Amino acid sequence: MQAVAVNMQKQNSIEVSSLTKKFADITAVDDVSFTVAEGEFFGFLGPNGAGKTTLIRILTTLLKPTSGKAVVSCCDVSKDPENVRRRIGVVPQAMTSDMDLTGYENMDIYGRFYSIPNKQRQEKIKYLLEVVGLANRAGDLVATYSGGMRRRLEIARALVHTPEILFLDEPTLGLDPQSRRVVWGFLEKFRKDITLTVFLTTHYMEEAESLCDRVAIIDAGKIIALDSPEKLKAQIPGNDIIFITLADASYMDAIKAAIEKIPFVHKVQAQEEVLRIYVDSGAQNLASLLEHVKAAGGTVGSVGIHQQTLEDVFIHFTGKGIREEEAKKVSFLIGAGVPRTLGR
Amino acid sequence: MIKLLAVIERDIKKFLRNPVVIMMSLVMPLLYLVILGNSFQGKFRGIPIAVVNQDSATYATRMIENLRAIEAGAKTFSIYYLKDQGAAVEGVKSGIYKAALIIPPDFSRRVVLNRKPELGLFIDNTDNISAEAVRNSVNGSIQAVRQEYVPIRERPDEIHLRSIDLYSMVDYYQSLVPGVVIMAIFMGTMTSGVFNIVMDKFLGTNESYLLAPISRGTIVLGLIISGLIITTITALAVFGISMLITGIPLSRGMDQGITILLVVVMTTLALLSMMFVFLGRANHPRVVGIFSGFLNVIFFFPSGAVYPIESFPDWLKAFSRINPEAYAVHALKSVLFKDAGLRVVSGDIIFLLAFTALMMVLAITTFKRTL
Repeated sequence: MQAVAVNMQKQNSIEVSSLTKKFADITAVDDVSFTVAEGEFFGFLGPNGAGKTTLIRILTTLLKPTSGKAVVSCCDVSKDPENVRRRIGVVPQAMTSDMDLTGYENMDIYGRFYSIPNKQRQEKIKYLLEVVGLANRAGDLVATYSGGMRRRLEIARALVHTPEILFLDEPTLGLDPQSRRVVWGFLEKFRKDITLTVFLTTHYMEEAESLCDRVAIIDAGKIIALDSPEKLKAQIPGNDIIFITLADASYMDAIKAAIEKIPFVHKVQAQEEVLRIYVDSGAQNLASLLEHVKAAGGTVGSVGIHQQTLEDVFIHFTGKGIREEEAKKVSFLIGAGVPRTLGR
Repeated sequence: MIKLLAVIERDIKKFLRNPVVIMMSLVMPLLYLVILGNSFQGKFRGIPIAVVNQDSATYATRMIENLRAIEAGAKTFSIYYLKDQGAAVEGVKSGIYKAALIIPPDFSRRVVLNRKPELGLFIDNTDNISAEAVRNSVNGSIQAVRQEYVPIRERPDEIHLRSIDLYSMVDYYQSLVPGVVIMAIFMGTMTSGVFNIVMDKFLGTNESYLLAPISRGTIVLGLIISGLIITTITALAVFGISMLITGIPLSRGMDQGITILLVVVMTTLALLSMMFVFLGRANHPRVVGIFSGFLNVIFFFPSGAVYPIESFPDWLKAFSRINPEAYAVHALKSVLFKDAGLRVVSGDIIFLLAFTALMMVLAITTFKRTL
């Protein structure tokens, strides 16, 4: 099995063309095309309900696409799902480890599903549990694990059969910042140790920015931008963003029209009483900008400057922020949401 | 094979780590035996009836004596003597008595003169079964009113039916044992096998198993085999304990034991694969809950475990012909009470085999391999 994979010498690990998935009248994934190169760390970034989980479920053979084609590792996911399953490791969004089994047993039973011989399996499990820092808890029931420990176990479990591609669906969802960093830590370690293509979905900008070689921004089932984090950020006009919160929003339109004419201002977005202004050299131009606002009749409540992040990229392309409330009907029905919140 | 064993081992481990479930699947069928045995036994005791005797002559007294004999002997009812007919009927209406028997003033005279003697029985007929019991007992007492003496010797001119029991006596509790074993099997198949899939779906753990390269057949077969192991062991334990409680002898040794094991295994397989067909696509344990209550009634009561199939109307008899539990009960009753060997129950086993094969094919083909 392993030998075949090596002989293939594939350039791309994942090739997706015109992939669409509809649920009744909702289009969760809408004509999506992209490729992921072998060894690449690829991120899908988008708000809840954008179609990330649906996409990852199609790529990991859990859902059948409505139309379009997806080739993962060797094979078409709809035509030869069995062979795809053998070559991929998946960390689903929900906690899927068995609570009634110990950490070791979870790994062991999973390893046997891949027909890994006894001795090899034991060594691999021992090694992986060591890496994710669960070696001393391997004999305890998963029911006694914390959320972070369970997540680490599931990442280890996804690697037990040495997959070519690792899929992670929101791997740090629900983890505290510290556990999140731990998870990032060994994702990077695994990547250094073995040739592994990683496909990750997230709605944490920081995660996509610090881990991924390339990021696709997805919203309402469509890819709206795809590039390296640096290049994506470079697409935003200006290099700083100034936020101005007005005391009241009554002259908003006039103020917006006035500052849009200033040469160093590239773009202005207004949301309630907040102005989001894309500028060059924010620190230098701040004073001049505030005068323009006052001249147009605005009373400034507060001001802030920040450097661009991927979140700004997202806002730049979609006109809205990535927030938890973005969760729409789509994610409620078919995303990873419902059963998990009901479960333990 | 390594994959199949992994599915089985996982399931059995999970079962063994749940001692409450183990206890319940052992204790509940046994409680069933005790409760069912006592609630269907059909012998009434101490039904309160009011008697108003307005006649002081011989035959009225004899009638009262006959009733007393029942009160003292079979204890079907307790007699309360009243003077006022109106109060007695009121008492029945208000639920104090189940019936009121009125012996009119001219009863004895009419008996002597052969002029249609009558007794009045006001009866609460809302509960058919107890009303019938009272009516029968009172009728029996009436028949004996005219008998001056008890015949000691059989009369040579009468035709007699001599009934010979072919098998050793089976009391009501013992006759319930096959049903209780079927109940244990039913409960086992409800809490193992397909239930694990529903639970995994509910908890979200199924996602990880669907991601692994294991086929539909392996998943379904693995869960059926682990369910078979768990259920067979609990059913045999329940069987053993209820045999001890009711005192059924295992007279024929190995042959009988193997036949029983075969029937239990086949019944378990039939029910497990049937549950898979019904519930393979359910995604909430509540569905299983509702279904199990329903299926239990649908399959258990028309199985002949509690009441003979011969008493059913035609349509229900027809259903019994495709009810796997009916075959299981028939087979177990034959083996236990008629000392039947494998040959007698082979028809039952063949039906269960065919039923299992059909359900297994349906279960595997209808099982959804995707989310």
